[in-house]
Amino acid sequence: MNIFPESISQIGSEMDKLFWIITAVVGIATVITLFLFIYPIVTRKRNKTKEEMYMVGNSHNKRKWVYIGMMLLFLGDMYILLKEHPIWESVEQTLPEPDFKIVIIGKQWMWNIIYPGPDGKLYTDDDVMAYNELHVPVNKVVHMDIKALDVVHSVFLPQARFKQDALPGRTITRWIKLNKTGEYDISCAEICGTGHSIMRGTMYVEDFNTWEKTMADIYKK
Amino acid sequence: MGTHKKHGFWHRYFFSLDHKDIGFQYLLTAMFMAAFGGFFVYVFRYNLAFGPSDIPLYGDLAAKQYNQLVTNHGAIMIFWVGMPILLAVIGNYLIPIMIGTDDMAFPTLNKISYWIFLLSCIVLLSGFLMPTGAFGGGWTMYPPLSVSDFGYNNPNTTFWSNFFTGNTFFLLAVALEFISMLMGGINFVVTTLNKRAKGMSLMRLPLVVWMVNIANLLFMFSVGPLIAGAFMLLMDILVGTGFFDAYRGGDPILWQHLFWFFGHPEVYVLLLPSIGAVGEIISTFSRKPLFGYKMVILMVIIAAILSLVVWAHHQFVSGIDPGAANIFSLLTIIISIPFAGMVLSYLGTLWKGNIRLEIPMLWALGMLATFTFFGGFTGLHLGSNVFDIYAHDTYFVIAHFHYTLFPTVFLGGFAAFYYWYPKFSGRMMNKTLGLIHFWGTFIFFNTIFIPLFWLGLQGQHRRIYNYSAWNDLLMQPEHIMARQIATVSLIFLLLFQFVFLFNFFYSLKKGKKASKNPWEANTLEWQTDSPPPHGNFDPYPVVQRWPYDYNHPEKELDYCPQTES
Amino acid sequence: MNTKQLKKPTIKDIPQGRLGMWLLIAGEFVIFGGLMVSYLLYRIRYEEWAEMASHTNVILGATNTFVLLTSSYFVVKAHQAAQHKDSKKITMYISLTILCALIFLVVKITEYSQKLHHGFTFSGKELAASGKAIESSYWGFYFLMTGLHATHVVVGAIVLFIVMQGTRKGKNFHRIEIAGLYWHMVDLIWIFLFPLLYIAH
Repeated sequence: MNIFPESISQIGSEMDKLFWIITAVVGIATVITLFLFIYPIVTRKRNKTKEEMYMVGNSHNKRKWVYIGMMLLFLGDMYILLKEHPIWESVEQTLPEPDFKIVIIGKQWMWNIIYPGPDGKLYTDDDVMAYNELHVPVNKVVHMDIKALDVVHSVFLPQARFKQDALPGRTITRWIKLNKTGEYDISCAEICGTGHSIMRGTMYVEDFNTWEKTMADIYKK
Repeated sequence: MGTHKKHGFWHRYFFSLDHKDIGFQYLLTAMFMAAFGGFFVYVFRYNLAFGPSDIPLYGDLAAKQYNQLVTNHGAIMIFWVGMPILLAVIGNYLIPIMIGTDDMAFPTLNKISYWIFLLSCIVLLSGFLMPTGAFGGGWTMYPPLSVSDFGYNNPNTTFWSNFFTGNTFFLLAVALEFISMLMGGINFVVTTLNKRAKGMSLMRLPLVVWMVNIANLLFMFSVGPLIAGAFMLLMDILVGTGFFDAYRGGDPILWQHLFWFFGHPEVYVLLLPSIGAVGEIISTFSRKPLFGYKMVILMVIIAAILSLVVWAHHQFVSGIDPGAANIFSLLTIIISIPFAGMVLSYLGTLWKGNIRLEIPMLWALGMLATFTFFGGFTGLHLGSNVFDIYAHDTYFVIAHFHYTLFPTVFLGGFAAFYYWYPKFSGRMMNKTLGLIHFWGTFIFFNTIFIPLFWLGLQGQHRRIYNYSAWNDLLMQPEHIMARQIATVSLIFLLLFQFVFLFNFFYSLKKGKKASKNPWEANTLEWQTDSPPPHGNFDPYPVVQRWPYDYNHPEKELDYCPQTES
Repeated sequence: MNTKQLKKPTIKDIPQGRLGMWLLIAGEFVIFGGLMVSYLLYRIRYEEWAEMASHTNVILGATNTFVLLTSSYFVVKAHQAAQHKDSKKITMYISLTILCALIFLVVKITEYSQKLHHGFTFSGKELAASGKAIESSYWGFYFLMTGLHATHVVVGAIVLFIVMQGTRKGKNFHRIEIAGLYWHMVDLIWIFLFPLLYIAH
């Protein structure tokens, strides 16, 4: 049984790796804590003197094991932060040069996708709107201007490990670069009313030639 | 004695000013609301596993109703079950008898706060009777969805037609509940500071009293912005202002900030009283002093202060500044450290103890284990802003926060309940039924949520009525199987609660008579009769020592009440 | 056992009424603080709001500030009188305070009717219809914050009146101090609201 659905982007695979790193840190902590938990229960009937048991823990020396535990967890935390920061920076804080730009607009309960049209520029007269079907080329940087018309939606591409809320009145630009062709899901991850569970789009990741043909077809209509 | 005559049913359950009666009223009301919350979750979980038609005891479920049930389940379990049980019941019942006094500082205010709480329950439930139906926009009430059919957006509405909607009633109910808890909180803090028995210095207070008070102060300082936000949202619905309308100079994200500024501390408001009660129980049944008492209090205060500045970890993908998200991620992950200190102190209390595995101890250990291993540690996954991009609003989040809140409210709540039951009823609970209840609840609770972790990692997102649109991604046989395991476990979990209900009422009448101090504990409430008389103590106790002198080397017994010199 | 209930608990650093009121005031400040911070965030973002702020009536606002400050002075005097249990003086000063509250409310109503007359309504529908959509929320904040504050003025005046009735019967003199604390809070909130809404352009 696989843990994650297949990953179709470099970033997505790194995020999966990060999950396992955090799980490893947490796993070590769990093993240590579990021992501290179970051992006293197992040995509960052994004889102990009152002096042994009267542990108040009011001096730093007596609390040293607690401090050591906190230090260890602190190191684990720092390790997680060190590993995650570069990924966050590349996903959210940098915007590589786009090969292709689209607009994706959430609306109750569908995704409107605006392609730039034959001139290759968005927000011009020849823009073309499509519903629920997003065609993107493989291995290219795609910029998405994310918007919403009525309520808060959230563009969720599970296989690309991508998510961004779509807010009315704002345009948020994010990028994706996918490395596998195929048909994938677009979910809405923020409750948006009665039709929230039918708000699904399809993302087609195509190799460059097929994609150009599809685009030409869309523009002809 | 004999100055206080026995009061009738109406007096005891509706008009009494005695803190014990008010605590009991809160308990019964919360149990009543929990029945609703439990029934709602049964209905919508059944739908997710076996389809929306012919749900036993309910009938067919439509998508709109699904949203309403999900929303109200969340709100009820947090605001009308968790808050009253952990703050109001523990605070009301325990603070006066643990600090050795007769009643609250302001008994009338206490009564009024209960009445307002009861009113808020009625307002919330009557939302279901409104023509538009109950509110169904998620318990977080994100605008513009929570406003979208009303106010400015719908010119056909009037003030009154906007008023009689589920949305308005939901908001009003939440606001009333906050006001009730604020009044109660003021009462608890003043009582603790002013009405302590002679010799009861702050550093001799039982841990649970400390925790309830820190929780109350935290609540007071975090809830204000949300009350302000609730006024604004209410006005958006009722008269059509544009506070959260992006096209009229408002901003939907502002609500999210106001909500989560309260939302994260709220988790600790629930957690602290529960973990305080668990601390009492662990110390008592390990027959050992609570390890690092002062350190635990310090750690909790640090965590409480930190919790005020981590709210945006609920909003990593909501469009906030990505640079700020780094800081929030750092703070969120750092908050694990004071909690590690606290859990390790508790484990230090267990270490080398003469542990007695009585029923309350089982609940307490179960609470500590599930909270730490699943609730706390998956918090690290979600506190990491990178992984949160994927996991946000999936079932991974759902499983995570149920693993923090269920142990907090129910496992911790039951631990406290079984521990103090002899005190408040004067009788012991049946041990066999208690064991059945504990293992039934504990096992099935885990089998509900472990599958949900996996479903979340598979990309199953929240608040979806029916996954049939995601045929390849989420409707494979193993996904359906996982949902069914969770649902069947839930049904068993709910059935085991009837064992508890039976035990509760059966032991109230037929249980073995409890002595003053059945658990051989130190704190003041065990020095008075079970149940305590009106006025609690006669004469008032004089405190000589801190509450955790178990197995003191100079004493013969393995415990030493606080009143003993 | 017929012993009298022995000592009442002895640790009493702050009288409990005053302590409770301090906590209530802290809670109120967080509520108003939430509103003010929200308002400030918007105000900084939208330059258009400065123009709207210039439509507020600074003279009436300043009058109200003066009226409230005076009323706080009377409350202080009433508190002094309460320490001497002088119920006549208390009645006089509290009556003056309530009079100030009434003047405050009259001025407030005048202001509101001016605003409504100019088409600046609470919901801002009229402004939005005339193409000033962004500006319309300014008046939402204006009416919500001042309205909520005026409600506190009304509540404070009623509380003072009830407490005054008590002192006239010669009991509960300490309540003057507690109700006075509340009144000072109402005053102080206005001191924050006035520059935020009226002065800052």
